[in-house]
Amino acid sequence: MSTEVTAPMSGNIYEISVAVGDDVKAEDELLILEAMKMENPIYAPVDGKVTEIKVAVDDAVEANAVLIILD
Amino acid sequence: MARKQTPLRPYFEKMSDIGKELSEAEVKRGAKNLEAVAEQEALIKAEETRVHEAGIPAERVRSRGSMTIYDRLDYMVDAGTWQPLHSLYNPTENEEGCTGVVSGMGKIEGRWAVIIGFDNKVMAGAWIAGQAENILMITDLAKRLNIPLVWLTNCSGVKLMEQETVYAGRRSSGAPFFRHAELNKLGIPILNAIYGTNPAGGGYQGISPTILLAHEGANIAVGGAGIVGGMNPKGEIDLEGARALIEGTKSFHGKTPGRAETHFDATAYFREVHETEEGVLDGIKDYMRMMPAFDAAMFRVAEPAQPKYPLEDITLILPANQKRPYDAMQILARLMDNSEFMEYRPDYGPEVFTGIAKMDGFPVAVIGNNQGIIADYPDYADGEYPGVGGKHYRQGLIKQSEFVTLCGRDNLPIIWLQDTTGIDVGDAAEEAELLALGQSLVYSIEQTDIPMMCVILRKGQAAAHYIMCGPQANNNNAFTLGTPLTEICVMHGETAAAASYARRLVKEDDEGRDIQPVVDKMNQMIDDYRAKSEPAYGAKMGFVDEIVSLSRLRGYMEAFAGANYQNPKSITPVHQMLLPRAIRG
Repeated sequence: MSTEVTAPMSGNIYEISVAVGDDVKAEDELLILEAMKMENPIYAPVDGKVTEIKVAVDDAVEANAVLIILD
Repeated sequence: MARKQTPLRPYFEKMSDIGKELSEAEVKRGAKNLEAVAEQEALIKAEETRVHEAGIPAERVRSRGSMTIYDRLDYMVDAGTWQPLHSLYNPTENEEGCTGVVSGMGKIEGRWAVIIGFDNKVMAGAWIAGQAENILMITDLAKRLNIPLVWLTNCSGVKLMEQETVYAGRRSSGAPFFRHAELNKLGIPILNAIYGTNPAGGGYQGISPTILLAHEGANIAVGGAGIVGGMNPKGEIDLEGARALIEGTKSFHGKTPGRAETHFDATAYFREVHETEEGVLDGIKDYMRMMPAFDAAMFRVAEPAQPKYPLEDITLILPANQKRPYDAMQILARLMDNSEFMEYRPDYGPEVFTGIAKMDGFPVAVIGNNQGIIADYPDYADGEYPGVGGKHYRQGLIKQSEFVTLCGRDNLPIIWLQDTTGIDVGDAAEEAELLALGQSLVYSIEQTDIPMMCVILRKGQAAAHYIMCGPQANNNNAFTLGTPLTEICVMHGETAAAASYARRLVKEDDEGRDIQPVVDKMNQMIDDYRAKSEPAYGAKMGFVDEIVSLSRLRGYMEAFAGANYQNPKSITPVHQMLLPRAIRG
């Protein structure tokens, strides 16, 4: 079952901490979303494998945009 | 058989649990932090060692049969209770590397005292620049906490070559004598252990406390032997005068005035004279046992308990990267007894937390900044922008003011945990009355008249640093601590550089000139801001009273809570407290 990790707010992708194929555990840091001058970490909500990264560093994203898909 | 219990047990015995163990991922992420914290801690430690070794070597003092100030403190203060303050304070960058006094809080014979002594390795305890301010901060602390002040006097008087830096002015080295008089007037005893030669300023340092105990070799006097020996009336020194001075000095066999035979045998100013230096300190201990102090059981609301989670975790949780958020409850869970907290209005003003906790079994209030983005808040922004933890908005300011006012009513001492970037700005914020609500919080603090301590966990910026009981709250703030991650400045260097040079950039660019020189100035300003926002700089300038390792914060909180409840000026019967009921509803 796949899990979509979405942006909780609009912002810019500051850093991506994982690559496609990585196994991650719940609460692992997936990427950093820069918003309101803060570097906001986005964590894995569940254990899983990174199957798709839908953004790149410096991309501007809107709230609720899908960032990463875990399987 | 008698039945006994702590008061208001249904509220205080067991509060809500906060915090959780760190996950593997959190520990892994936090590891990056350890290096940054360790780097700052090493810098602070090196500075502390430098101050500790200021003046002549300790061994030289000991070889004369004397103890150093640190030896005296070690002998007098109960083991494990010493909480130093102002260790790195040296705002005028004295060549001595310090202000010549060593100060802090500690227990003596089980009772808390504010303690200060002259560093007899540094010019035999001379008055040097910045020292008076250091002493005034310490006398203010004794006044705020209503606990005894203990002096270890060993003061050679004014450093005559630099008299203009210490002698005159409203907050000069004479001001502490008035502070001593004020403490006496308020019923706060000052115990004085007197060593060495204490002429003039040193004499008043000796005479102004409440109880005087002296070493047999000590003296206190209006003036020293040199002045008693006479003045040169010519207005300048010529060779004839110099030769007369040589002869006079060689033939001077008079005794230093104000010795024990005068001030014990004749005037009886000294209550005790001891043959040994340790004997004087034993005398201080005897008097400390006479000091007013309630048994802790009078005010404890539960058995003292350590937090459930290790203090050392805080180094993993509090990010060195100032732009990274964290869970403030995870910090609180590693500071408060049994990791429990009774939160006041958690759903209102979510950018700050306010509530009651226990510290060493005593009830305390805690106020701090939450961190991270807060969606759909503040409501007055109408979705134009989200709330950010560390900033203050309308609800949070109202909540803090309400809470502080109730703490005043319940006599709950407040621990502030600051990590703040400011108060929201813009037209919407002005219409939301944030300017007035910030000052309203200042008014609430001033109105309460209860002791507060402040920890600048990371950022102390803009007016928010003031309104969250920063050291500017002179009448309430007992002391302010920084951490290895503290950064105190009006705003970030980048923001300040943009504010200062934006118009200049536009002008240079419009007129076709090279903007690089302006860019260079901006970067210079940013570097300067960074250097002057660092923990060691803040400690040197007195922005904070001490920089403390994250794992030592609780020790200061225990000292604050214990000292607050030792002999409080005002008491709210625990069973009549309002806040616990207001929280439960």
